[in-house]
Amino acid sequence: MINFRRIRQNKHRNMRRNYPALLRLLIGLAPVIFCVLVRTGQCNAQQSAAEQPATEQTSAGYVPVISGAFAYIQNATGGVQTLTPQIVPVLLVPMGHSLLLESRVEFTGFFERENQTTGPYVGKVFKTIDYAQLDWLATSHVQAVAGRFVLPFGLYSERLAPVWIRNLQDLPLTYQIGTHPDGAGDGFMLRGVAASLPSANIQYSAYMSAHDSTTQLAAVRVAGGDTSIYFPAGHVEAGLSYERSLEGYQINNEAAYLSWQPQRASVDLKAEYDRNHYGDGYWIEAAHSPQQFFVAPEFFRRMQLVGRMEQVFVRNGGGNGLPRVNEQRPELGLNYNIRDDWRLESNYGRLFSANGNTNVWNFGFTYRFVWPLWPGRKS
Amino acid sequence: MIIQMRSQWLLALVVCGLCCAAVVAAAGQVAPAASGAPHPQSTAAVASPGEKVFMDNCSRCHIPPMTLSPRITGTVVAHMRVRARLSRSDEKLLLQYLAPR
Repeated sequence: MINFRRIRQNKHRNMRRNYPALLRLLIGLAPVIFCVLVRTGQCNAQQSAAEQPATEQTSAGYVPVISGAFAYIQNATGGVQTLTPQIVPVLLVPMGHSLLLESRVEFTGFFERENQTTGPYVGKVFKTIDYAQLDWLATSHVQAVAGRFVLPFGLYSERLAPVWIRNLQDLPLTYQIGTHPDGAGDGFMLRGVAASLPSANIQYSAYMSAHDSTTQLAAVRVAGGDTSIYFPAGHVEAGLSYERSLEGYQINNEAAYLSWQPQRASVDLKAEYDRNHYGDGYWIEAAHSPQQFFVAPEFFRRMQLVGRMEQVFVRNGGGNGLPRVNEQRPELGLNYNIRDDWRLESNYGRLFSANGNTNVWNFGFTYRFVWPLWPGRKS
Repeated sequence: MIIQMRSQWLLALVVCGLCCAAVVAAAGQVAPAASGAPHPQSTAAVASPGEKVFMDNCSRCHIPPMTLSPRITGTVVAHMRVRARLSRSDEKLLLQYLAPR
């Protein structure tokens, strides 16, 4: 006779052994989750007509959309040429006004010469599912996300990483802190705006991801959160991210970031500091578009000058997506928006490393598209 | 030692460059909104609450989108509401700004 009680006891014992941190986190988060759910219920009950999407006051329609970008980047690092064509489609399927199914997939070709500097170009195409998630716009202040989502860690991974948004094509040296290995989690997330005041907005995300070794859906067991405060008067945003790895070496990942767009200047300043067990580092980036240049203002308005400085300091041998030795890289870039949807990109950087210093060049273009999937009118 | 000194000089150079760019830009460039690739920080001529929401949230990360067909605006704004963690009232204002009746 099968002893179900013993099996259940063993199962619980294994859970206690394998998931103590997870359980502790769940118990710790239980009051918060309870409060959010209660608040969600109250909000739903009190939701007035004013809170519904204002379709009666706009001509906005809700048909499925395919968006994304085509990009081609030619990279030269230390004299080795790499050709990187990319197609990044984003699928958006609304289901009513409160549910949205969205997914982003990357097809990235990676081609270089057979012997690095000589021979024919060879390579392959990599496919990555960045996210495939169902969003429930529960209330004005709470959004629930389930599925595969981009980890909202720091400023870069969720907001600046798409190829049509990033100002410089190279990812920051510290990018893998908090996003290792694929920058995505498989699980659920609550996010939204906690307080929306005239003087400040406070935004939050809290998520939990399970381990998944499925090809193209790989994720690690992590839990974490992000919060930021934005002051509209000064166009300043400051935020903090925390993530706890719940498998293998259970390490903490932390990030602090700052964004500032001075009101009287066409400058965009962003900075982020990240750290974990394997190292820490920062990047600081400034982008400037001359808005009223004294010669050919229309031409120069479409131009963007970018500068970024970054350093990474390894600890405990580095690795896990970080370099094994300390590195630093200043970069300068020049982008030009031919049209709103076409952008030419170029940048030069110099990587200083104990393993040898190298020059890094990138040239390319990005084409951004947004197409309806079928004809439709206002819902 | 030499590498460290060189890197310090480089860091100082980059920081000075960024400061100069900020000072030059701040010296009198308040840009009117224009066609083409308007800059996210061009907030001088903010007219409507929806435009303010756009400048405060969307423009922190990217330039204004290309012309959006009204029939997809609802979908795109719902997507951006999740990305940018916007409230429902902000979504409503954005819809009124991007797809006015």
